[in-house]
Amino acid sequence: MREINTIIAVMAREITVFFKSPGAAITSLAMPIVMMGMIGGNLMQNMAGGLGFQFGEFMLVGMMVNMLFMFTTMGMTSLVDDHETDFNQEMLVSPVSRYSLVIGKIFGSMFGAIVSMAGSLIVGLFMDITLPFSKLLLILALSPLMCLSGGALAMIVIGLIKNKKTANFAVMLITMPQMFLSGAIIPIKNSSGVLMVLSRMMPMTYCLDLARSVVYAGTAEYSSIVLFNPILNFMAIIALTLVCLIIGTFFFARSEKNR
Amino acid sequence: MGVIEVNNLVKLYKGAKTPSVNDISFTVNKGEFFAFLGPNGAGKTTTISILTTTLSKTSGEVTIAGFDVEKQARQVREKVGIIFQKPSLDPQLTAEENIRFHACLYGMCSYRPAFKLMPATYRKKVLELAEIVGIQDALFKPIKKLSGGMQRKLEIIRSLIHTPEVLFLDEPTQGLDAVSRRSLWDYIDNVRNQYGTTIFLTTHYIDEAENVDQVCIINNGKIAACCSPEEMRQSFLRQELILDAADRGALTAELAGLNLSYTANGQVIVPYQGQKAQEIIATLKTPLTTLKIHEPSLEDAYVEFLNKAGGKAE
Repeated sequence: MREINTIIAVMAREITVFFKSPGAAITSLAMPIVMMGMIGGNLMQNMAGGLGFQFGEFMLVGMMVNMLFMFTTMGMTSLVDDHETDFNQEMLVSPVSRYSLVIGKIFGSMFGAIVSMAGSLIVGLFMDITLPFSKLLLILALSPLMCLSGGALAMIVIGLIKNKKTANFAVMLITMPQMFLSGAIIPIKNSSGVLMVLSRMMPMTYCLDLARSVVYAGTAEYSSIVLFNPILNFMAIIALTLVCLIIGTFFFARSEKNR
Repeated sequence: MGVIEVNNLVKLYKGAKTPSVNDISFTVNKGEFFAFLGPNGAGKTTTISILTTTLSKTSGEVTIAGFDVEKQARQVREKVGIIFQKPSLDPQLTAEENIRFHACLYGMCSYRPAFKLMPATYRKKVLELAEIVGIQDALFKPIKKLSGGMQRKLEIIRSLIHTPEVLFLDEPTQGLDAVSRRSLWDYIDNVRNQYGTTIFLTTHYIDEAENVDQVCIINNGKIAACCSPEEMRQSFLRQELILDAADRGALTAELAGLNLSYTANGQVIVPYQGQKAQEIIATLKTPLTTLKIHEPSLEDAYVEFLNKAGGKAE
């Protein structure tokens, strides 16, 4: 019970801070315009012909998941802020599991990520790309798992970083390759060699594929878009999340204590 | 067995050539008020960090309330409270939100999104502590808008709210005005009397350690002395009579005749030990123009001790 309370308290703190930082809210809404409207819009207009499926819908799902990953990763950089203000000391001296602190952070970052995901939907509306409401609800239901996966991956790097500049660079390093290699906006069905290996190592690949398996279930495009069985995706997400969470939390706790 | 047991503790930071804490041992008993003094960089904060589980040790054994700080870190954390040397507040939250966060992490109550929704016991305790340290008007203001002193007071409230068994105070009154310092110490005395809390203090204000049960001086990572403040005063400084007379020559001649050592430099200073000042004064026949009895303070003893030990007093 103490651990659940800790997760809620840490999460609530992140959400409170989100509402007190206008910049965070503006970024959450502005980023989908850049990613979805500009990058995605350009791809749709110039390179989406001959794919055999509607690129807009494909890209919207990709961007929604990408926003979840990107903003959860960005949210995790608040650990660096906490290190700089010594607030980490306050958290680490408390009698709670370090996993609860990290999971609370991830779920707290999820709030900004979901705002950003909603921003992608709004941009999609302007681009005349929509998804059925029932499918949106299913993606929303999967979003905590996706954020947990993205946050856990981010922890491996961010848990070791002690200054904001490096953390911002790390966010780019974590999110950008995932966006292109996991198939958020570019189909990866025909990827091979190193690119294929890299894509299989990234948790976002499985999150995206799971989201698309939900959206395209029962449609003719399913086989040309979805890579893996949803159960396999689900298991891969769980396994990769657990591995990243354990390693990331270990690094974080160790880097603060072993000086 | 003491509530804090430190045996042969060593801490060598990564990349450092000499240990910051070098084979120190001491015991603090339950309910004791313990002062850990030393110059800057002596190893005080390093020791506190190890004792509160936020820093790993290189070697040695440390237990708090019978729990090993490395193997049973969580149990240790349950027992301790700490005021860190540097502020450790979330600047984006209000003062009360910082306290609420702490209370939830220590399992005092479940998290609720507003102060009004928190349990009555929590609200009562927060308001009571805020009044004691005098920040009731700042309780709902963002940390960014609080002065350094106000932030310190808030940290004090936060460290005490879960009523820890052992309270670590790493220079707790730094930045506080005299009135706030006094009200804080009154409150800490009250907490000690009421709950039997053990206090582990490091401070720059040596007068704050005058009434402690035990003083340990750490210098260059080693324990240089560990005793009661009274023993320290007795060990390191002699009591002195400060005298003067219109006929100073007659006074010094009389002192020499009584086989009393003295130094005459502006005034005549007569150190005495094992004698009563009254007896010395009664034997003097020269009319005195100045008569003062100098009782050494702990700070005098501390400075004297560090000078002798080759350290640098803060």
